[in-house]
Amino acid sequence: MSSELRRETTNARRRVGLALVALLCGGSMIADANAEQIWKTVAQMSAEDKALFDPATSTPRDSEFPYMPAERYPFEAPYTVEEMGYRAANFPHVARWQGAMLDVFGAITSSGYINQGETIFYMMLEPGVGYEGYLYATKPGDVYGRWMAYDIFPPENEGTQQLWATRRTDREFRTKMDFFVYSPQLRRVRRQPEPRRDQRFADNAQTFDDVIGRDPWEFEWELLGTDVLYETIRFPTTRPTITLNRHSQGFVERATDSLKPMGDDYPHYLADGGVACWVVKATARDDWLPGYSEKTLILWLEKTTFYPLRREKYDKDGALMTVEVRLAEHERPELGTFGYTAFSTVYWNIPNDLISYSFHNPMHVREWTEEQKAMIFTAEFMRRDWLIEPMKGQVLISDPDEYFLRPHLHPEKFPGERNVAVPAQVEARVRAQNEAGHLVFETAGAPGNATGE
Amino acid sequence: MTITKAFLYRLLAPLLLFSFAMPLAAGTLADTWSKFDRAMAKFNPIGEHVRKPIERRFPNLRFKGFLRQWSDVLTDEDGTVGFRDQDFRFLQLQNLLELESGYHFAPGLDFNVVSHFLYDGVYDWQKSDGLFADDIDRTAEVYHDSERILREAYLSYRIPGVDLKIGKQQIAWGKMDGQFIDTVNAMDRRESVQLETEDYEWRRLPTWMASSTFYFGRNSLQVLYIFDFEHDRQALPGSPWASPLVPPPSAITDVVLDVDRPSAGRFADHEYGLRFDRAQGALTYGFVYLYAWDKNPVDHVIGTQLSAGRTVLRVRPKHERLHHFGITADYGTTFTDVPYVNVLPTVFRVEALYTNGVRFADFGKRAAALAGANLDGTSKRDTLRAAVAAEFGLPARTTFIVQGSLFYTFDWKNTLGPGFGGGIGDEWTVIPVANVSRPFAFTRDRLSMEFTVFPVVSGPSADWQGIKSKLRFKYKFSQFVTGQLIYNGYDSGDDTGLYGQYEEWDNFGWELSYEF
Repeated sequence: MSSELRRETTNARRRVGLALVALLCGGSMIADANAEQIWKTVAQMSAEDKALFDPATSTPRDSEFPYMPAERYPFEAPYTVEEMGYRAANFPHVARWQGAMLDVFGAITSSGYINQGETIFYMMLEPGVGYEGYLYATKPGDVYGRWMAYDIFPPENEGTQQLWATRRTDREFRTKMDFFVYSPQLRRVRRQPEPRRDQRFADNAQTFDDVIGRDPWEFEWELLGTDVLYETIRFPTTRPTITLNRHSQGFVERATDSLKPMGDDYPHYLADGGVACWVVKATARDDWLPGYSEKTLILWLEKTTFYPLRREKYDKDGALMTVEVRLAEHERPELGTFGYTAFSTVYWNIPNDLISYSFHNPMHVREWTEEQKAMIFTAEFMRRDWLIEPMKGQVLISDPDEYFLRPHLHPEKFPGERNVAVPAQVEARVRAQNEAGHLVFETAGAPGNATGE
Repeated sequence: MTITKAFLYRLLAPLLLFSFAMPLAAGTLADTWSKFDRAMAKFNPIGEHVRKPIERRFPNLRFKGFLRQWSDVLTDEDGTVGFRDQDFRFLQLQNLLELESGYHFAPGLDFNVVSHFLYDGVYDWQKSDGLFADDIDRTAEVYHDSERILREAYLSYRIPGVDLKIGKQQIAWGKMDGQFIDTVNAMDRRESVQLETEDYEWRRLPTWMASSTFYFGRNSLQVLYIFDFEHDRQALPGSPWASPLVPPPSAITDVVLDVDRPSAGRFADHEYGLRFDRAQGALTYGFVYLYAWDKNPVDHVIGTQLSAGRTVLRVRPKHERLHHFGITADYGTTFTDVPYVNVLPTVFRVEALYTNGVRFADFGKRAAALAGANLDGTSKRDTLRAAVAAEFGLPARTTFIVQGSLFYTFDWKNTLGPGFGGGIGDEWTVIPVANVSRPFAFTRDRLSMEFTVFPVVSGPSADWQGIKSKLRFKYKFSQFVTGQLIYNGYDSGDDTGLYGQYEEWDNFGWELSYEF
C-alpha cells in the first residue's frame, strides 16, 4: 500500500470515527469532524506554543512556602505547567475581589424535577488580600475573606443567610472556613461543620471546592497539550433569548447564541470564533488530599489568561464524574487579563445525571466602608434579617424545557488521558438532547437510570 | 375500624417504595413521573397569581406565606389509658395558612405583620368522647381571635450600629436543639412531648415588647423590655396530648381560684432581658440575663375550706419572678487523618441556664397546710438546664449529632412537684439525644431521612423514663411543595415517666407544605 493510499485510508477511518462521535455528541462536532485535528499533544504543539511552555518539572522552591515555586506569581513566560495551575487558581467560581452579586442557581434531574435558588452575595476580603495576598501575605489558618449570603428564592428559603469566613490553609491548618447559618424557621444563628470539600452539595452537582477553589499546591500538574473550544455552556433552542441585568443599562435582552465563552471584549477569539486553550491535568496529591474523591482534574485554560473554561473531574478509578463549563466575563477591564470572572457556569454530574447551573448576574464591584465591614460580615448580623443591597435578576428558568443542555463530551480529544464513557442511559439522553436541541425528559420506553454516587 | 401497626406498615411501605422508585422506574412509568415533575416545576398558583401582582403593584410591599397540612394518626386505639379515654385515632388534622407581609417605608424602616389561620379537624372529623378541649378553649380547634391570628406585628428601625423593634414579636435565644436559654417567649405546648425545635417557630407565643440591639466591633448587646406577659399553653384536658396522669377537672377536690397573672398595666410586672454575644475566630460565645416571670403558674395554698363535709385546700395559681443567667458557645474545627472518613468537620456547642428562685409545688407542705399549718404549699429552689452537643459532617451529606442534656434541681427533695428547668420528676434528668440525617443520592437528594432517639434517665428515684424515637422521610415534589412521612414511637419506661406515660401514643404522620 502506497503512503498516499495509507494516508487516504487512515483519513477515511478517521472521518468514519469522527462522524460516529459527531452522531453521539451533537451537531457542533460535525464541523470538527471535517477539520484538521484541532487538539494537539505536547509533542504536536506549535513552535509558538512550545516557546511559551517550560517543560521543567522540578523548579526551585520558595524559601518561606517550600510547597510553592520560588518564582513569584504571576510568573513570566515560559510557564511551567505548575505555574499555569497557579494562574488558573486565580479564577475560582466566585471572583477574588470585593463586591456584591446575585447568584441564580439551579439543578435539574433527568425526569425534569427542577430546583432553583437566588442568593445575594456580599463579598469582602481582608485588607490587601487579592490572590497574591492570599498566596504570600496570609498566614495559614488566617481568615482572608468573608461572604455573606442572603437567600431570596425559593420561598421556603427566603431569609436564610450564611456567613462564610474563608481561611488560608496548608498541610497543618486544614479548616477551610468558619461556617454560620441563620434559619428564619429557627430564628437562630448556628455554626455548622464546614462542608466536605469533595462532596457535592445536596440537590446540586457543585462541590464546596468548586465554589471556593482549590489550592494549586495540593495537585501534581501535567500539560496534556492545546485545544480550541468553540462552545462551553449550551443554551437550548427553546431559550433563544435571556434577560440580563447589565450594570447601568438595566435589564437587557440578549440572544443566547450571542453569548461567547470569554465575553464580548475578549481580543483573542480565533477567526472561526474559537478560544485557544492549554489543556492541563491536575492529580490530587495523597500527602495533601488523602482520600480526595475528585482524584484527577483536566482543565481547559484560555491561553493568554489561564482562565479555566472547562474542567473535567475523574474519580479514583478514572471514571468521569463531572464536567464543568463556563462563560467568562471581563468584569474588571482595569485588571487586564486578571479581570475575568465566571458569569455563568454549568456542572454536569454524570453518575446522577444531574445538571446544575449558576449565573452571577448582576455583579457589582465595590469597596466596603470600614463601618460596613464591621457591620455586615459577622455572624450576629444575620439575626438582623437586613438585606442591605437588594438585587434583582431575571435569569431563573421558568420551564424545565428551557434548561441548559448537558455539556459536550469531546470523546475524540486526548483519548489516552480521558475516559469519557458514560452509562448507556445517559448516553441515550445525550443523543436525544443533541437531536432535539433541548433536554428530552421522556424516555419513550427506554429504561431509566438508577445509578447514584 | 381498627388500624393495627401491621396494617399501617403495609400501607406505608408501598407508599415509601412508590415514592422512591417512581423516578427510577422504566418506560411509561418514568415518563409519567417526568410529566408530573415538569408540571410540579411550574406549580405555584398563589405565587404567580397573588404574590407577584401584589408586589408588582406595591414595590415596597413584601408578601409571602405557606399553606401546610399536618396529620398524625395513632397506630392503635387503646381505650382507657390512665385517666384518658383514648377512643380517638387522629392526634392532629391541622391546616395552617401563614401570611407574612412587610412594608418598606424608608431605608432601615419597615413594618412587618405575620398572620396565622389554623384549623385542627381532630375534634370534628372523628367521633370521640375523649376529645373535648375545644369546649374548654376554642383555640384548640381554630384560631378565632386577634391574639392568635395577628401573630406578629412590629415596627423595625435599623441603622448600622443599632436595631430597634417595637411590637408583637418572638425572640429566639440560643443555638441548641431544644430549649435551654430560649426563655423569652411562652410556648403553645399542645403537642406536649411531640413538640420539637422545628415547631417552635409556629408554636412560640409572640409577645408585645421593645427589643434593641447595639453592635460594636465583634460584639452585640441586645436589650429587651417586655411590657406584656404571655404564659405557656399546656395540652388542655380533653386534647389529644393531654397527659394520662392528670385527673379530669371533675376529680380535683381542691378549690382552685383564678390564676393571678402579671399585668401589662402594672409597671412592676414588666420583664427585662440582656444578651451579649461575641465572635472570636473559631469560637463564638454569649451571655444572657432575663428577669422574667415563670411562664407556668404554681399553686399557692391560701387557706382551707369545707367542701362536701371534708376539708380541702383553697389554692391560687401564681407566676413567680425568676432570674435567669445563661451562657452559650460554639466552636468549629476540622479533624484530619480520621479513620474511614479522612477529614471530619465538627462543631461543638454548649449552652446552660441557671435559674434562681424557681417556685415548686411542695406536696409535703400542702399536706401540712391541709392539716392546719400556715404554709403556702410551695418551696423555692434553683435549677440548672444545660446541654453539650457535637455535630459531625460525614460523607454522603450525612450529619450526625449527639447532644447530652441535663436538667437539675438544687437541694431537691422528693415532695417537690414540677418546676422550671429542674429534673423531670426527680433531682436530675439526663437526655442523651442522637440524630442522624442524610439525603439519598439515588433520588437526586429529593428524598432525605432523619432519625432521632431521645432516651430519658433520671435519678435518684425515677430512673428510666422511656425513650422516644422519631423517623422522618422528607420528599421534595418541587421547589414549592414538600411532603413528609413521620413516625414517632414512645417505648418502655414507667407509666409515670416522661415518655413512659405516652407508650400508647405511637403515631404516624404526614405533612404537605406549599410555600409561595
